[in-house]
Amino acid sequence: MKSTRFWVILIAGLLVISGVFTALVAGQTSGTMANIYLDGKCIRSIDLSQSDDSYEFTVDSPTGSNTIQVEPGRICVSCAECPDQICVRQGWISASVMPIVCLPNRLVIQIEEQSKQSELDGVAG
Amino acid sequence: MNRIHTKKLVFMALLTAIALTIFVLEAQIPPLAPIPGIKLGLANIVTIYAVFVLGAGPAAMILLSRIILGSLFSGGMTIFYSLTGGFCCYLIMLVMRKLVTGKQIWVCSVLGAVAHNIGQIIAAVFITQTPGVAAYLPVLLVSGILTGLFTGLCAQFLLQRIGGHTF
Repeated sequence: MKSTRFWVILIAGLLVISGVFTALVAGQTSGTMANIYLDGKCIRSIDLSQSDDSYEFTVDSPTGSNTIQVEPGRICVSCAECPDQICVRQGWISASVMPIVCLPNRLVIQIEEQSKQSELDGVAG
Repeated sequence: MNRIHTKKLVFMALLTAIALTIFVLEAQIPPLAPIPGIKLGLANIVTIYAVFVLGAGPAAMILLSRIILGSLFSGGMTIFYSLTGGFCCYLIMLVMRKLVTGKQIWVCSVLGAVAHNIGQIIAAVFITQTPGVAAYLPVLLVSGILTGLFTGLCAQFLLQRIGGHTF
């Protein structure tokens, strides 16, 4: 049996390391491209620095739909058909490293440097 | 023949019902933070109790029943995250059970919570096919360590008060 001191130090160490990494991912990215992924496939890319009007659109997934709202420089999920509504409560993001995630509908909105949408699928978006 | 005695089966069913009740009640609390995966995890108090008092097999059955029934009650679309997280947590707690004293049960719970978060994120990366989701791991770990400490202390006090009852 290890002493309680051993476990306290181990857990405090884990807490500090995760705290440091949390601070890192809480930072800002220099990218302005909002890539919208459904099931791992980038279905639409929006350059937030280029968009100068506000609009919204709906992404349908087998489990429900998400309404995504775009304003100059920022993006959010305004409405979602899921039980927890966490993606809606995440609110607007503009340059956050942490993506907006809707786990039930497998939708991810991530701000990146480049568009991840493949050219061939471009028209379908 | 390796059979489960009726008394033990009833006790396991009772623990499942308690865990499910806690789970459903906790699901009524609005999310603590707008971050997917952060929650108190109060139902884990029952899992810890089962791992320490009833052992590996019964604890696994109680956990599995609670996750399946719980996802039926709460919408069910996040069952894979709960299953992966729950069983990572369960395995770590089984290992830790041999390494801690009665006054260190909270350690078991904290490391279980860490395993839960890692399992959950791995499931999320696989299911959404989007590696960027892993950016949530550090903040989940911070919250998991704190909530795991809380539920672990609850379980530890529970075991100290009513622990010795075994079948």
